[in-house]
Amino acid sequence: MKKIIELKNIRKSYDDTVVLDNINLDIYDNEFITLLGPSGCGKTTTLRLIGGFETADSGDIIFMGENINDVPPYKRNVNTVFQRYALFPHLNVFENVAFSLREKKRPEAEIQEKVTEMLSMVALSGFEKRSVNSLSGGQQQRVAIARALINQPKVLLLDEPLAALDLKLRKDMQQELKKIQKATGITFVFVTHDQEEALSMSDTVVVMSEGRIQQIGTPVDIYNEPENAFVADFIGESNILDGVMMQDKRVLFSGHVFDCLDSGFGRREQVDVVVRPEDVDIVPVERGMLCGVVTSVTFLGVHYEIIVDINGFKWMIQTTDFCDVDEHIGLYIEPDAIHVMKKSEYSGMYGDYSSFSNELDELSDAEMEPEE
Amino acid sequence: MKKFSKIYTALIMLFLFAPILILLVFSFNEGKSLSVFSGFSLNWYVELFKDAETLGAVRNTLVLAFSASIISTIMGTAAAVGINKLRNKYLRATMDTVTNIPMINPDIITGISLMLMFVFVGRLFGAATSLSFVTMLIAHITFCLPYVILQVLPKLQQMDKALPEAAMDLGCTPLRAFFKVELPEILPGIVTGMIMAFTLSLDDFVISYFTSGNGFQTLPIRIYNMTKKTVTPKMYALATIIFFVILALLIISNIIESSDEATAKPTKERKKASRHSKIIAGSLGGILVAGMLGVLIFNSGKTQVLNVYNWGEYISDGSEDSLDTIKAFEEYCFENYGMKVKVNYSTFASNEDMFAKLSSGAVSFDVVIPSDYMIARMRDNDMLLPLDFSNIPNYQYINENFHGLYYDPDDLYTVPYTYGIIGVMYNANVVDEADVGSWDLLWNEKYKGDILQFNNSRDAFGTAMYKLGLDVNDPDHAVWDRALEELKEQYPLVKSYVMDEIFNMMESGEAAAAAYYAGDYFTIMDNQAENVDLRFYYPEPTNYFVDAMCIPSCCQNKELAEIFINFMLSPEPAIANAEYIYYACPNSLVYENEGYIEDMGEEAMEILYPELGNFKELYNHYAYRSLSEETLNYVTSLWETLKIN
Repeated sequence: MKKIIELKNIRKSYDDTVVLDNINLDIYDNEFITLLGPSGCGKTTTLRLIGGFETADSGDIIFMGENINDVPPYKRNVNTVFQRYALFPHLNVFENVAFSLREKKRPEAEIQEKVTEMLSMVALSGFEKRSVNSLSGGQQQRVAIARALINQPKVLLLDEPLAALDLKLRKDMQQELKKIQKATGITFVFVTHDQEEALSMSDTVVVMSEGRIQQIGTPVDIYNEPENAFVADFIGESNILDGVMMQDKRVLFSGHVFDCLDSGFGRREQVDVVVRPEDVDIVPVERGMLCGVVTSVTFLGVHYEIIVDINGFKWMIQTTDFCDVDEHIGLYIEPDAIHVMKKSEYSGMYGDYSSFSNELDELSDAEMEPEE
Repeated sequence: MKKFSKIYTALIMLFLFAPILILLVFSFNEGKSLSVFSGFSLNWYVELFKDAETLGAVRNTLVLAFSASIISTIMGTAAAVGINKLRNKYLRATMDTVTNIPMINPDIITGISLMLMFVFVGRLFGAATSLSFVTMLIAHITFCLPYVILQVLPKLQQMDKALPEAAMDLGCTPLRAFFKVELPEILPGIVTGMIMAFTLSLDDFVISYFTSGNGFQTLPIRIYNMTKKTVTPKMYALATIIFFVILALLIISNIIESSDEATAKPTKERKKASRHSKIIAGSLGGILVAGMLGVLIFNSGKTQVLNVYNWGEYISDGSEDSLDTIKAFEEYCFENYGMKVKVNYSTFASNEDMFAKLSSGAVSFDVVIPSDYMIARMRDNDMLLPLDFSNIPNYQYINENFHGLYYDPDDLYTVPYTYGIIGVMYNANVVDEADVGSWDLLWNEKYKGDILQFNNSRDAFGTAMYKLGLDVNDPDHAVWDRALEELKEQYPLVKSYVMDEIFNMMESGEAAAAAYYAGDYFTIMDNQAENVDLRFYYPEPTNYFVDAMCIPSCCQNKELAEIFINFMLSPEPAIANAEYIYYACPNSLVYENEGYIEDMGEEAMEILYPELGNFKELYNHYAYRSLSEETLNYVTSLWETLKIN
């Protein structure tokens, strides 16, 4: 596959705050790539660098083999769908979409034809004369996409484009965006803080935190083989424990030596061990590899979410079997449910559910509103 | 309850609009009186459009307001865009505050500081005069600017910051993005800001007063200076017109605002709004360009300039079929000397105003016409140039009695223009003939509550001192204390202490006796109500004053100034002025002219020109002279104790 954009050793800071710290990223032709991370991780800044609205303190941006560090936005062959769409309020739907063609002084017939075509692609035929202020959020979104795509850019940048939509509409738009990307063959660079959105839409996910890339990979890789505690925690739910690698495929944690599939670590190397809550089986105490007391049970419809205290470490387990609070249970973990990671700066920061509550989790999700 | 609130609203409306309503009604009054509406007429509007000086001031005001509002709008918008782009929060807050300071700063401080700056910078570059149209324009831009920023900045802050980025993303350069996307968004703010700036500039008085140069007089200054005499009803007509123009602007700006608020609503309205604002912006721009061109054409050609500084309403100005003296002089110069002359005619409201302006050094005038005591003060301060009387042959017609007066004992600096005597007027229907003849009338218990007294210390003390036979220029405090006792005794009899209000109160018969200038007596008598019968006499001794033409040391064209003074003494303008001003004239070409005598009438001639026999002696003895600072302060403090009682 052909590389379209290369970011090389990008650094950027505002005043004294480092926003991007040595970013290296390759973006390929015809790819749906997502920058994923909590607010303030630098994903939007990365996008704005590619769009030309920010300049890096150091490093290079290569676009189809050419350095575009100093190329202004209006000369770059990329277009952007802005977070709150940034439609021009004084122009109607047609003129919004036609904006870039008019700037290029294309003949009227071509403008008519292309705008009509774009509007039908985003299912807005017949809305030409409408004021953009009279459209719903989803419709405005489509106008923004049509306006950005009419130029047939090599790359389309999307800055949290679905954040302002309600859940149902967001799901529909996810499907539609994916469809448009397939149909046009344009590379999409998508920014979001919603991990589900990232996993369901992307070819490649780039997980970012604190101005650094934590992991680049396919959604399956990212979920199953997180590279460190941050990624493991940010994508889905994880129990993350301190462990010691006894030898290849043998790992010690929670006072028990488990069989696993990981190898290539040093003998007695300190590691992080990830066990996904849905991969733990509940068994009678006498058959359990580990034993503990249930401290809380939450019914979530498809399954229960229970917190189990094992030697002071709180595990989260998702199960369809009902357990009572204070019940003693045993846990059984298959070798392929265990994922071993090298120690990182994030070790010990995540993966313990001792202070967990669903309510708190939702609260912190709500706080993850985009800033910038 | 509902009824009550309706009445309340009506009362508030009445309170707010009664003054304007009265102004409006009386602008259509046939007569001059403010108390009697004698019939509907458009006379004052006709008069207004004949008054070249006022129309000139209107034109000046408009040119200034248009230029100031357009320039401050452009600068203010640019500034707002800049402030809005500041990333640093503190810097932005500071800029916000700094730009707001001129708005909360008292006008008078802004005015004085601007004047100081212009004079300072002017001196730095060695300019003889530093105040001109340009300085006034700068001043107006200075105080309009914050208001424009105040209107535009919120519009920028409301705007989605991503809009210009979106435009650039779609192929616009930053500049083009501003014009194509940002400008339409903030246009309502810009237009409101511009209209605001325009109205502010239009009615500014204080700042203009300090920063105006020779000849460039705006309407508010012109009106202020006219208050030396009364404000003539043509000013009501003008004020009425201005009121409706401002009202129209206000309505336009409200329409823009409300259609801007309708932004969220769909479609057509919005389009209409933007079309509206385009039309307004376009037409304002068009008028400005036309105005500028007009000024350019007006000012082109090599002309000599003469700057004249006189009291308001103190020259025949072409109104009511009189001679337009200034125009006549310009024609006279062209016909007799082949010179193209442009007279910049400015007016002042008091000797002290004139003195302050002249000694600021910021302006230069070629001819000024102050009063006697002020001439003495200017002479003492080396502010006058000796006249070359060979250029003023008409000086020979000045009455002998006006030579060697105290303010110019050797007749080097001045040519007398008018003179006057303070007398007492009374309503013969109320006052007994037996009680008249002396100052005692104003102290007569019989007319308690019918007597008017001057509302300025010098003239009020004067009446008491003449009555008591004291010297009005005595520095001895005891003399002034004695006069104060006399005024205190009179206090319970006095209806009120007045200046210009005397016109209405005497005309309508509200008051029965007052001392005032002889010249003004005729104006009052012309307007007296039917049941009033005004008479006039000179008590003895009394006050005499002379206003004289002189050339200040800042003069730039002395020869032309002397030609002007000589012209003012020639028969046609001299008679026209004397008939217009109604004061006595020391020029024999005037008071011996048969046409003039006939026009004035026997009674007026008798009052205006009493036996001059020993005028010089009386004048030098009884006229007011400049008092020392110390004496002035003492008199002021005495005056205050009287008024506080």
